[in-house]
Amino acid sequence: MKITLTLNGSKVTHDVEPRETLADFVRDRCGLTATHLGCEHGACGACTVVLDGEVTRACLMLAVMCDGRTVETLEGFRNHPAMEVIRKHFHECHGLQCGFCTPGMLLMARDILARKPGCDADTVRYELSGQICRCTGYSGIVKSIVSAGQELAGKAPAKA
Amino acid sequence: MASHPPSDGWIGASLKRKEDARFLYGHGKYIADVRMPGVQDVAFVRSQVANGRLRSVTKPEGGSANVFTLADLQPLTVLEAGPELPQHKLSPYPPLADERVRYVGQGIAACLAPTRAIAEDLADRVTVDIEQLPAVVDCVAAMQPGSPRVFDHWADNAYITSNVVEGSPQVLTSAPVRVRRQFRMNRQATVSLECRGVLAYWDHRTNELVVYLSTQGGHVKRIGLSRILGLPENQVRVIAPDVGGGFGGKNRLMPEDVAVAAIAMKVGHPVRWIEDRREHLIASVHARDHTYDLTLSADKDGTLLGVEGDIYIDAGAYALWPTGAFQEASMASRNLTGPYRIRHLNLKTYTVATNKAPMGPYRGVARPGACFAIERLVDEMARELGREPFDLRRQNIVTAAELPYDTAAGMRLDTGDYVEALDTARDMVDLAAIRKRQAEGEPDGRAIGVGFAFYTEQSGHGTAEFAKRKFRVIPGYESANARMLPDGSVIIHVGVQNHGQGHETSLAQIAAHELTIHPDRISIRYGDTATSPMGFGSFASRSIVFAGGAVAHSCRALVEKIRKIGAHLLQTDVANTRLQGGAVHGPSGKVDLAEIAFVANARQEQLPTGMAPLLEAVGTYEPTVSGGVFAYGTHAVVVAVDPDSGVVELLDYAVAEDCGTMINPLIVDGQVQGGIAQGIGTALYEEIPFDELGQPLATTFGDYMVPCAPEIPDVRLAHLVSPAHATEYGVKGLGEGGAIAPPAAIANAVADAFRDIGARFNETPLTPRRVSEAIDRARREKGAA
Repeated sequence: MKITLTLNGSKVTHDVEPRETLADFVRDRCGLTATHLGCEHGACGACTVVLDGEVTRACLMLAVMCDGRTVETLEGFRNHPAMEVIRKHFHECHGLQCGFCTPGMLLMARDILARKPGCDADTVRYELSGQICRCTGYSGIVKSIVSAGQELAGKAPAKA
Repeated sequence: MASHPPSDGWIGASLKRKEDARFLYGHGKYIADVRMPGVQDVAFVRSQVANGRLRSVTKPEGGSANVFTLADLQPLTVLEAGPELPQHKLSPYPPLADERVRYVGQGIAACLAPTRAIAEDLADRVTVDIEQLPAVVDCVAAMQPGSPRVFDHWADNAYITSNVVEGSPQVLTSAPVRVRRQFRMNRQATVSLECRGVLAYWDHRTNELVVYLSTQGGHVKRIGLSRILGLPENQVRVIAPDVGGGFGGKNRLMPEDVAVAAIAMKVGHPVRWIEDRREHLIASVHARDHTYDLTLSADKDGTLLGVEGDIYIDAGAYALWPTGAFQEASMASRNLTGPYRIRHLNLKTYTVATNKAPMGPYRGVARPGACFAIERLVDEMARELGREPFDLRRQNIVTAAELPYDTAAGMRLDTGDYVEALDTARDMVDLAAIRKRQAEGEPDGRAIGVGFAFYTEQSGHGTAEFAKRKFRVIPGYESANARMLPDGSVIIHVGVQNHGQGHETSLAQIAAHELTIHPDRISIRYGDTATSPMGFGSFASRSIVFAGGAVAHSCRALVEKIRKIGAHLLQTDVANTRLQGGAVHGPSGKVDLAEIAFVANARQEQLPTGMAPLLEAVGTYEPTVSGGVFAYGTHAVVVAVDPDSGVVELLDYAVAEDCGTMINPLIVDGQVQGGIAQGIGTALYEEIPFDELGQPLATTFGDYMVPCAPEIPDVRLAHLVSPAHATEYGVKGLGEGGAIAPPAAIANAVADAFRDIGARFNETPLTPRRVSEAIDRARREKGAA
């Protein structure tokens, strides 16, 4: 069936199978491969996208359910000011190693900091409980998000 | 995380990673992101039984041309795998099942379709008839005389057994104190967040098979693919794109790799298979699965004397090419003395075939099990003697004055100060304060415990060591091809594979140090057998030692020529020149590298008479000592345990570690923290149990617990720096160390919390059920006594 949705600001129309996930839609129909598939059952968060403003697991959403809706993937945040700050802190705090979880982590980080500006490390850890990173042991990721949050909230960076 | 002093040079600088940018913008290209026109996807029909005779495979009407069984992949030469020892029994592992299936998940047929979903539809229509046989699921019971066999023609289920006898173990039977315990470290998966995957096609222009593979080392896979497919190696090109984690799980030639490559040679279009998470948990590399029955002997004064007993390794149904899981038993036994002056060993090892997925390497390889066994035993011995476990550890550990120290099992521990690592970790968690806190009790009724574990991590071991282990392919060196381009920028191709370790940064720092230019002028390339020199890949904590050394040597060869050209241009003798700040300096001036590079590449008339043009050199490297250099450290953990629920919370986690010279401390910290997270997974969460029919019971992340951010503490890190003597710059490998000690340290801490009732925590993962049952059992036994 034919669906039309707004993807990263542009209208896209494709003929899809009813069983096709949103993740497969953005990756295979639209060629946007920042959305990664780590489990395809909603447990790892690598496929996190933003659907009508809410962070969503693209592997648990059928493409047909997104007809007429607005989807943003990491590619849509290329020049996004807050995301640029978050990226800078992931780079500075060694918040990534193999990079596979990173797109989902970045979108989740932006969502956390939008809902809880300038939040502390414990809050970030709790909020990340649905995202798996197998490389970093999370420490660098938590630090990245906390320090990005401080910069975005206009606070001085945390000591040490 | 530790803070690091600023560095003037590139060695030791916490340089931000050069590879980060592409990942942060979603530009990483992993195997599933490789777009190839006309590609079709494979879905595998897999065995649903653990052991059975495959009577027939019926292809669906109308789809049979797209369903491949083993017969359809021929000609193939199934490779012998495992150590090259006559007593090692062979377990031929075809890429799809022949007349027998030996584990749940083994591939039977490959179904090809334009999308994975349609391929799965096709797979659903394939009918498989299997006569189910009794399954071998327990590696200890598998060695009983009446056990069913995994391979009918084997005399028993052991791939191989061995006796490790060192010193005079007969003296141990009369030792004053003997403590016997059984330990289990259960089976788990390796769980890179990116699953495995392969994409293959025949390139008609270059007349070669191109295999994109999510792998830790493409060259070794090319050797295997070439042999099994009967193609010369100049017609097999293996490309590893960005690899989303490996941890050992992408370091063997796997049946899917071979099946997809073979199908690609039959059909006229690219073929790909992307592993899904269920396949990963059921049928990818499995790991750990050690069982120990050990007795530790000591004098009354606490001097540790020796270890005796049995070690069982559940190696699963087949040996994976090239090496299988056969270093597990030797590494478990050889590491069982830990860092202690234990001189007597009498161990029997059994590497056992069972009807489970084949075992492969996983971060730490065997040492997490060995460390768990010896470090738990040391704590149990301390309790037996009425001693503080930390003190018994300190009494028996090799001192700095005794290094280098030859262990009973023949490993030479090289540099460091083990006592300092112990003391530093003790002070970081403040042992005395914890003992006081324990005496006061917790208001919430939880029990507090503190545990220590010490590990050593052999790294950078070379040719003689792997030859001794009878490897089929000896990863005893690495190579680097350094090329300076006409503008003085540099491309270095290496044979190792970056899959998160930061090689594009740390190897560039080494080259920058040698060439005295900024790392931004240096590109590190890898992951393509067509362009990188022969190398073995990234595993066994080897890359910084081997590839770092190879980069240094290739750059030094460039520097030698650069200085000659510079001397010629400066009209001075080369002995009067030095390379500094990206220029060759002479007595009366300097000439920049860019000018020298341009002369060498494009203005060769200015070269010294007789000198060949180009600035390019291949360097190979092996450390001067083949037995390896040993990183080490102490992990100290404080836990709070709810005695009713059995839930363990990590209150504090401190590490004092020493990996010699750090090239990039930022990356070192990340490796340690990341390794510890995986070790915590082994200690508390991750397990693939099997039922009596051999069915795996953890097949999704709903029942296979991968720790997330709330479960993993911020590890506090202290670095000791004792450079190795046998390596360039004094580096030691450190990629695995973080994963080795957590099961031992955490189990020691939990046992410490319940030392008053003597509850035993000798099986990982320490799930709430295992913990609460152990407490309950100890309370009942104490009550009965």
